[in-house]
Amino acid sequence: MRPLDWAVLAASLAGIVIYGLYKGRGSGTVREYLLAGKTMPWYAMALSIMATQASAITFISTTGQAYVDGMRFVQFYLGLPPAMVILSATAAPIFHRANVYTAYEYLELRFDAKTRALVSLIFLIQRGLGVGLALYAPAVVLTVMLGWPDRLTILLMGGLVILYTVLGGIKAVTWTDVQQMLIIFAGLLAALAAALWLLPQGVTPLDALRLAGAAGKLNAVDLSLDPRNRYTLWSGLVGGMFLALSYFGTDQSQVQRYLTGRSIGQSRLSLLFNAVAKVPMQFLVLLIGALVFVFFVFEKPPVLFHPTELARLRQADARWPALEARFEEAFRERRQAAWALIEAHRNGEQGGAAAQAYRAAEQRLQAVRREAAGGVNDANYIFLSFVTRYLPAGLVGLILAAVFAAAMSTISAEINSLATVTVIDLYRRHVRPQAGDRECLRASRLATAFWGCYAVIFAQYGRNLGSLIEAVNMVGSLFYGPMLGVFALAFWFARVRGGAAFTAVLAGEAAVLWAHFFSGISFLWYNVLGCLVTVGTGLAVARALEEPRRVQKL
Amino acid sequence: MSLPVRDEPPPFLGAWRRLYAAVLLYLAALILLLYWFAKAFEG
Repeated sequence: MRPLDWAVLAASLAGIVIYGLYKGRGSGTVREYLLAGKTMPWYAMALSIMATQASAITFISTTGQAYVDGMRFVQFYLGLPPAMVILSATAAPIFHRANVYTAYEYLELRFDAKTRALVSLIFLIQRGLGVGLALYAPAVVLTVMLGWPDRLTILLMGGLVILYTVLGGIKAVTWTDVQQMLIIFAGLLAALAAALWLLPQGVTPLDALRLAGAAGKLNAVDLSLDPRNRYTLWSGLVGGMFLALSYFGTDQSQVQRYLTGRSIGQSRLSLLFNAVAKVPMQFLVLLIGALVFVFFVFEKPPVLFHPTELARLRQADARWPALEARFEEAFRERRQAAWALIEAHRNGEQGGAAAQAYRAAEQRLQAVRREAAGGVNDANYIFLSFVTRYLPAGLVGLILAAVFAAAMSTISAEINSLATVTVIDLYRRHVRPQAGDRECLRASRLATAFWGCYAVIFAQYGRNLGSLIEAVNMVGSLFYGPMLGVFALAFWFARVRGGAAFTAVLAGEAAVLWAHFFSGISFLWYNVLGCLVTVGTGLAVARALEEPRRVQKL
Repeated sequence: MSLPVRDEPPPFLGAWRRLYAAVLLYLAALILLLYWFAKAFEG
């Protein structure tokens, strides 16, 4: 980090906080503080939805994933546009007309208090674990890459987010999300330009794409029907759609973004903007990763991108000098094969033998890398390694600002939504039903501060949790299916009443836990399974035990 | 339970259904484009 990088990073962070405090002023009622008085325009909500989803670790690890595994991860997002269309046609108007603060408040209007309480608690557990991770994960990567003390990084990020979120409420969160999304876009475009600019003389962008493609890094569509294959067109369209329906339709950290719209139409537009923009954005992120791969075809990469693990293996593994020599040789062979492939294309050949030789050289290099890594996954460190070692002063600061912005936008939305559910669904509903607006506003600020401090404390101790972090990462997919199922029952099956809905959520959750512990299916399918079991159980119980009744259409 | 909330037609295409259809057509075009991109540079 050079002085210019520090200046860019500091200016970006100060700008976020000052802008957040400025835009969040005047939130003097609960409706203002938690719903921005329902005054938000579509573009602010749209960018806020996008910024909330784009966490720092997604930003850092998606590029690394493209480097290692190619662009097939983009298929994961192909289910998002149809999900947004469904939510725009159903959830947005239903929640707006019900005039609710939270998605779970609607469940009491439609079913009963216990179903609302159960789903609210599921959200608090799931998102409560997620918010700590959203703060901890980027701090660990920044610590390893830049040598910053992780506690300081956590305190800096967490402290700034708590400051503007507590004081400004959702207005501050939404408008800083807009600003943060602009910083993220600027960071992405800068990274793309740098990856192209740093290609060696004589390698055009078209050559770079051919090299990435020949190495299997541009595999954006996979038509395979193999269910063990995690990212295919089909798992993306079906599994990805269920995941997007669950996340954007039932998770308060997203629902609250579009509840702030000044009309149903504005909320619908914010969802449809994401339907159109999200896939190209993920494509861009993955393309940067693929271009970073091409950069390292010509510039020798480290055997491992994780600096701490690399240093440890150098010390501990007696085979290391021999492995490094083999890696060096394999790198030279691949570089030579890459130039030969470029030459073949220039001579009008279609690749053929040159492409095969290049692919074989790539496979040999990866085999040495795998042998050296011994199971260490360094995908999260590839992009920042490229940024910090090769990018000019100023751009490093901008891209680190984008990483901070991505983390802060996610954390602020999450603590804001956790506080909303704590106050609206628990405190005002069960603890102090007689509480007035002033008391609820104070409770909302306190709850925001509580969840912010909780996230900081969780993240501080994250390093001691070891493999639990992986378990925490899975938590979202364990709960989303039944949550989606209960909202599907609420929206589309008028005959289902409270008792059936409550039983259905428990049955759906049991099915997902069974699948997680006793079956080998990919987590993308948990949402489909949980949703279908919840809907099926709800309908069966309603038919068996309850008289159908007419439910007032919401 | 249900409140009169302002709803309006979309700013283009006249009706929300038409806009939804346009988004789904866009997705189909995007998938075709991604498929072409993957094949074009397969090597």
